Amino acid sequence: MHTRLSFTAAVLGALLAPAAAPLLAHHAFNAEFDANRPVKFRGTVTRMDWVNPHAWIHISVKKPDGTTEEWMIEAGTPNTLFRRGLTKQSLQPGMEVLVDGYQSKDGSLRANGRDLTLPSGETLFLGASGTGAPYDAPPKKKG
Amino acid sequence: MRRRFRRALIPAGSAAAVALLWLVASARAGQAPSTGRFPAYKAPRLAGHADLNGVWQALVTANWNIQDHEAQPGPHPEIMGAYGGEPPGQSVVEGGEIPYQPWALAKRKENFEKRMMVDVTDDKRWHDLGDPELKCYMPGVPRAAYMPFPFQIVQGSGDYILIAYEFTSTTRVIRMNGKADAPADSWMGWSRGRWDGDTLVVDVTDSREQTWFDRAGDFHSDALHVVERYTPVSPYHMMYEATIEDPKVFTRPWKISFPLYRRMEQNVQLLEFKCVPFTEELLFGRLRKQPRQASR
Amino acid sequence: MRRRFMSAVAAACVAAAVSFPALADQARTTPARNAGVSRQAAGGRPAAGSMPRTPWGDPDLQGVWNDATSTPLARPGGVSDKQVLTDEEAEEFQRNLAHNLTRDRRDGGPEVDVNRAYNEHWMDARRLAITSDHRTSLIVDPPDGRIPPLVPLSPERQRARAARADAAARFAAGLPDNPEEMSLPVRCIIRTDSPPYLPTIYNNDFQIFQSPGYVAIAPEMIHSARIIPLDGRPHIGPTLHQWLGDSRGRWDGNTLVVETANFRTDEGVIFQDADPATYRITERFTRVDARTIRYEFTVEDPHTWTRPWTAMIPWTRIDPGEQMYEYACHEDNYDIVHLLQGARIRERKGETVPKRNRER
Repeated sequence: MHTRLSFTAAVLGALLAPAAAPLLAHHAFNAEFDANRPVKFRGTVTRMDWVNPHAWIHISVKKPDGTTEEWMIEAGTPNTLFRRGLTKQSLQPGMEVLVDGYQSKDGSLRANGRDLTLPSGETLFLGASGTGAPYDAPPKKKG
Repeated sequence: MRRRFRRALIPAGSAAAVALLWLVASARAGQAPSTGRFPAYKAPRLAGHADLNGVWQALVTANWNIQDHEAQPGPHPEIMGAYGGEPPGQSVVEGGEIPYQPWALAKRKENFEKRMMVDVTDDKRWHDLGDPELKCYMPGVPRAAYMPFPFQIVQGSGDYILIAYEFTSTTRVIRMNGKADAPADSWMGWSRGRWDGDTLVVDVTDSREQTWFDRAGDFHSDALHVVERYTPVSPYHMMYEATIEDPKVFTRPWKISFPLYRRMEQNVQLLEFKCVPFTEELLFGRLRKQPRQASR
Repeated sequence: MRRRFMSAVAAACVAAAVSFPALADQARTTPARNAGVSRQAAGGRPAAGSMPRTPWGDPDLQGVWNDATSTPLARPGGVSDKQVLTDEEAEEFQRNLAHNLTRDRRDGGPEVDVNRAYNEHWMDARRLAITSDHRTSLIVDPPDGRIPPLVPLSPERQRARAARADAAARFAAGLPDNPEEMSLPVRCIIRTDSPPYLPTIYNNDFQIFQSPGYVAIAPEMIHSARIIPLDGRPHIGPTLHQWLGDSRGRWDGNTLVVETANFRTDEGVIFQDADPATYRITERFTRVDARTIRYEFTVEDPHTWTRPWTAMIPWTRIDPGEQMYEYACHEDNYDIVHLLQGARIRERKGETVPKRNRER
C-alpha cells in the first residue's frame, strides 16, 4: 500500500524537485552557467536593458589590478517588475551593486545573477533574509 | 427632303445636348472625387465615436523608401531576378524630403549599405547592423501602418483599442484614457489615444530606437515622438497622417500622409505571418553543429 | 507512460508558484465546498440581468485579465481523491508554498543553486494562491482530475517523440545542435498564446477587446492576438495552417464558445502533441462576476486520449491597477546565441551530452 501524500506535499515535492521541467521549457540555467565558476564582485551599473525574454544588467567591475571588466548579468522578465512598480528609473547607471552568481560555461563575461544587492539593501534574486519574503522560518504547523 | 431632315436635326441635337448634360450631371453625383479630395463624410458611430473597425491596408510603397524612389534591382539579382526587384514610388513625406541633420545623412547611407548584414555574435552589437524588418523584428510606428500587409483595428467600448498587424503578428494597444507612463521603451511604442472629432489621434512615445522607417535606412533616435491621425473619409478609406519629431536626428518635425484602404473581400481576415522561423538560418546559421544545405 | 505522468505532474506543479503577500488583495468568491466539482465552481452564474453588456448587446469581457494560480493542471498522484481542499488545507498549502518559494534556499550545492536564479520579484504575484474554490486540479473532467490515459501511439509518433526527447536532452545539457530543435518558447515563436491557455510562472496576462462581430484575445506572450469572428463564417481553407490555429466564436447564452482548427503540424504546436488530424479544442469564456471570467477548455483526440477532458481556470481582472505590457521576444533573444555559441565552444573542449539525460 503506498502512502497517501497530502496535497501540499505532493505538489511541493514535485515542484521543488530539481528535475521539474517548466511548462514553458524555461531554459535550464545550469545548461548555460557553470556551478564550478562562482563569481562575486562589487560593480557599477553602466546600463540596464529592460528587455524580454531576459533583462540584462551591465556592470563595470574594477579588478584588484586596477583594470575594469564589463559584465552582463542575466535577469528575468521585466514586465513582472513593471507590474510591481519598477520602471527604467529603478536601476540606473552609476548605482553600485553586489553581485553573487555563476559565470557562463563558455567563459564569457556573463553571469546568472544569484544575488544582486542594491544600495537600498533590497535583493533582486534569492537573497539573504530581509528580501520582503513573508517567511524566513518554516511556518508554524497548526494543532 | 434634305431640309426637313436638317431642320429635324436641330431639335434632335438640342435634345441630345440636353440629354448629355443631364447624364453628366447625374454621373457627377457618383463620380470618384479628384485625387486626394473626398466629399464630406461622417462615419457611423460606435459607443459615441467614429467607428474605425475593419481590416485596412496601405497601397503606397513607402516600406521600401518613404521618399521618392525609382525601381531597383534589389538584393542579389543574380539569384532573385525580378522577384527581388523593388518597385518605384512617390514620397509620402509632405514637402518631399526628410529634414535630416547633416550628420544623419551619412548614417542613413550606412544603414542602407548594411541593411542586409547581420552579426549577432556580440550581444552589445546585436542591433548595430541590418534592417529590423529583415530580422522579423516588430516594425514600430509609423512603419507598421505602411507595410504592404493588412492590419485590423478592434475598437469597442472599453478604454483600449487594439491594432493587430499581420506582419509578425504584431499588436499594439492604444490607451484612450490612460494616465500611466511607459515603464520602458518598446518596439511598438507607448500609445495614448484621444478623439478630435472623427479623427483618432494617437500620441506615440518611448519607442525603441532600433526601428527604421523603411528599407532605405531612414532612422531615428530614442527621442522619437510620433503623432498619428486616423480620419475616416469614406466607408472605404481612412486618411493616415503622422507627424514625426526627433530633435536628435531631424532639424524640425515633418509629416507623412497617405490613404488606408478597407479590405473588402468577403470574410477577409488577417492571416499569420510569423516570420521568426524564416530568420533563424540568417541570424544563427553560423552557430549550427552541422551546416545546412542551402535551399531556393 | 510514467514519463508522461511525471511531466504531467511537473507541468501541474509549474502552475504552483509562490508569490508575494498579494493574497490579501485577491478578491475571494465563495468556494464551492460541497462535493462534486461543477462548472459553476468559480462563484456560480451571475444573477439574471446582471451581465454587463457592450453597447451592441454582447456580454462584456473587455479588460485585462490574469490567470496565475498554483492549482496544478492535474491532481498529483498519490493524493486522495479529494476534489476540493478544506479552507484549512488550502491555507496550509498556500502558506507552505509561499515559504518554500520565497525563502532563501542554499541547500543542494552549487549544481542546484545555479539553477535557482530569480526570486519571486520576477514571478507572477498571483501564483501563490490556488483557485478560490480550492480545487485540487484545474481539470474538472474526468472527475479524478487527471489527464485520461493515452491510447497506444503509432510507431511513427513514438519515433517522433523519442527524437524530441533526444533534442530536449541536448538542450538540457546546454548542447543544442541548431535553432530549430529547441522549443517554440525558447525560439520566441509561441509561448502562452497558443490555445489552450494555461497558467505559467510569469506574465499570465490577457487583454480582451471586443467590437461588433468580434472578440479579440491578446495574451502578453508573445504580443499576438486571436481575432475571433462571431458571424458564423467558415474556417479558412484546409491547406492553411497557423501556429495559433484559426478560431471561430459564437455566443451560447452568456458564454463565448470558441472552436479552433487549422493548426500547424510542427511539434510543440498541438497541445500535448496530439494528432493534428483528429485533435479538437473548444474553449468557453463566461464572465461570472465583475472581477472574474471562467475559462474552460475541452480537448479531445481519439488518437491520443481515451476520452475528452476539460479544465477550468478562473481569470481575474487586473486593470486599471495593472496593465499588460509589450512582450518582445525574438528581438532581444540573446539566449539563442549564448546556447548555440556556448555549445560549439564546449564541444570543441570535448563536452558531450550526459547519458543520464537521455533516460528521462
